[in-house]
Amino acid sequence: MTHLYTQRSVGDLRAGDHAWLAFSHPDEQSRVLGDFVYAGLDAGEKVVCVTDAAPRHLPGLLSRYGIDATPFAEAGHLAVIPWHLACAKDGYSDPALLADTLEREIAKALDQRFQRVRITADMTWAAGLPGGDQFMLACDNEVEAMIGPSTVATGICQVDRSACTPEAIDVLQHHHEVLVEVNPEYDDGVLKITRTFRPHGLKLEGEIDGARHAAFTQTLTAVSDPRSEVHLDLNNLKFIDLGALSLIGTHALRLTRGNGLVLDNPTAELQGVIDMVGFHRYPGITRGQGWGAK
Amino acid sequence: MTLDHFALPYQGDDQFLGAALPFLTEGAERGDTVFVATNPRKRAALRAELDGAVQFLDQGVFYEHPTRIVAKVLRQWQEGKAEGRGLRILGEPHWETWGKWEVLEWQRLESLVNLVFADTDASFMCPYDLGALPLPILDAARRTHPHSAHGRFRRANPGYLEPGLFGAMCDREPLAPAPADSAAMPVFSPDMRDLRALVAGHARDLGVPGGTLHQLLVAVTEVATNALRHGTPPVVLRLWPEDGELVCEVADEGHWQPEDSAGPGHFPPNPELPGEIPRLGLWAVRMLCDIVQVRTGPAGTRIRIRTPLCA
Repeated sequence: MTHLYTQRSVGDLRAGDHAWLAFSHPDEQSRVLGDFVYAGLDAGEKVVCVTDAAPRHLPGLLSRYGIDATPFAEAGHLAVIPWHLACAKDGYSDPALLADTLEREIAKALDQRFQRVRITADMTWAAGLPGGDQFMLACDNEVEAMIGPSTVATGICQVDRSACTPEAIDVLQHHHEVLVEVNPEYDDGVLKITRTFRPHGLKLEGEIDGARHAAFTQTLTAVSDPRSEVHLDLNNLKFIDLGALSLIGTHALRLTRGNGLVLDNPTAELQGVIDMVGFHRYPGITRGQGWGAK
Repeated sequence: MTLDHFALPYQGDDQFLGAALPFLTEGAERGDTVFVATNPRKRAALRAELDGAVQFLDQGVFYEHPTRIVAKVLRQWQEGKAEGRGLRILGEPHWETWGKWEVLEWQRLESLVNLVFADTDASFMCPYDLGALPLPILDAARRTHPHSAHGRFRRANPGYLEPGLFGAMCDREPLAPAPADSAAMPVFSPDMRDLRALVAGHARDLGVPGGTLHQLLVAVTEVATNALRHGTPPVVLRLWPEDGELVCEVADEGHWQPEDSAGPGHFPPNPELPGEIPRLGLWAVRMLCDIVQVRTGPAGTRIRIRTPLCA
């Protein structure tokens, strides 16, 4: 059975969205959660985080925005609720209690005259426990029941991908209609460039021609990292001009500090162009996933 | 290391086989990669005399595209060289099946071979049937091959022209002006989405298939971007159907003086040269499109891309 879901940048989440993030890298978690919580605090919205981290250590706030969230918690803009307070009863964790906690927090936020509520729940702690998958699924159901029909609340449930089995990730992912990803590095309505973390690189969507060479090179430079090669996901790239291909070819080795660029999932048309001009033979260029007879 | 590129003017099968067989046998005995591309009748006659060391190719496959064949054969030579094998090709195009512009591009290719393969030890024998081919084609053969084979002897062709000169001759004939009712669009911005939309609309209406259309869009974007960056405004794109082809023209008022000795975009870039900055440019445009015509002078520069339409 195929499952339909929407992939949405964290900045595009709206009321009623109960989104899912299985992060592959701490940087990915920082970017999504940091941007989500910061945008809420910045806009004067109530933020509720169900996590065992202290406000100061909420992902991405200190590292990306230089903010210690403790004063926000003290002022009541931010509620950081440890899991044992959110859903434990008589030493057991009960997902139904999570719903009660969230309902209470939303009601409290509205009493405090907040117009919107942002909720995050970090479930990584449960992933490694016996029955953890079932617990996470049950929690998700409760959050969905709470946020799905809401016109004021938006939520992100998150888990460290490496803590879960692939089967658990699959089941949890299929449980969500919205998958959240980092905000794009560049988006002008024609070209959208988004960082990817598994594999490390960029997802290119839309069209690149001479008008967007500078933005493209700048982003490619920013993503340069000595630890690994850089992947470019071309699945939704409808057009790329020869100038941008030449840029990729010229900078493949330099921008990635010698690691090279891997081109993944080109459209049949783009593959035709690359094969025709022999671009895949340029130094530092490797053909990755999704090539072949199309 | 010397390139051996010569014409074989012949009359009748005996003369053809008398020269072709020793040429091919010698290559096979040396362990070279040996290809033959000629018509089915001559392929059959050669096959009867040669063992499996020679590969026979259909003319339509081998002579599919003048720029692509250069890249392919050059690669073939490089790969063979790495394994210590030479390359030997007997190639006889089907001149009679081509239109005027195609003939010109294949003649240009015959000349370019002398430049592109100058630093190789490849051997190319190009048979010309004196009894069947029209005079202008035989005349061009004398200008594009440094030598001709006559029996077992080779003679220098006094009419031979350097590839740069021959290329300039190919581009001497002026292009007819674009029809008054052609679609036109001024090019102002490097954001060429509107230009691609116009080309795609016309191409789809005329039945250009998807893969070819995408390659055309890449090519037109490249040519228009170059005109905008290096040419003199106004830059104008024009489109019209002509003799079973879609013609896309990008014109500007600058006098482009390309540096390449072989003419603009005819020499394949070599990405494997260390320290070399790979550039795709007009060479890639030629790879992607059927026929690319460049005319430049004090009155301006015009580049036309001709894409065949499905019958």
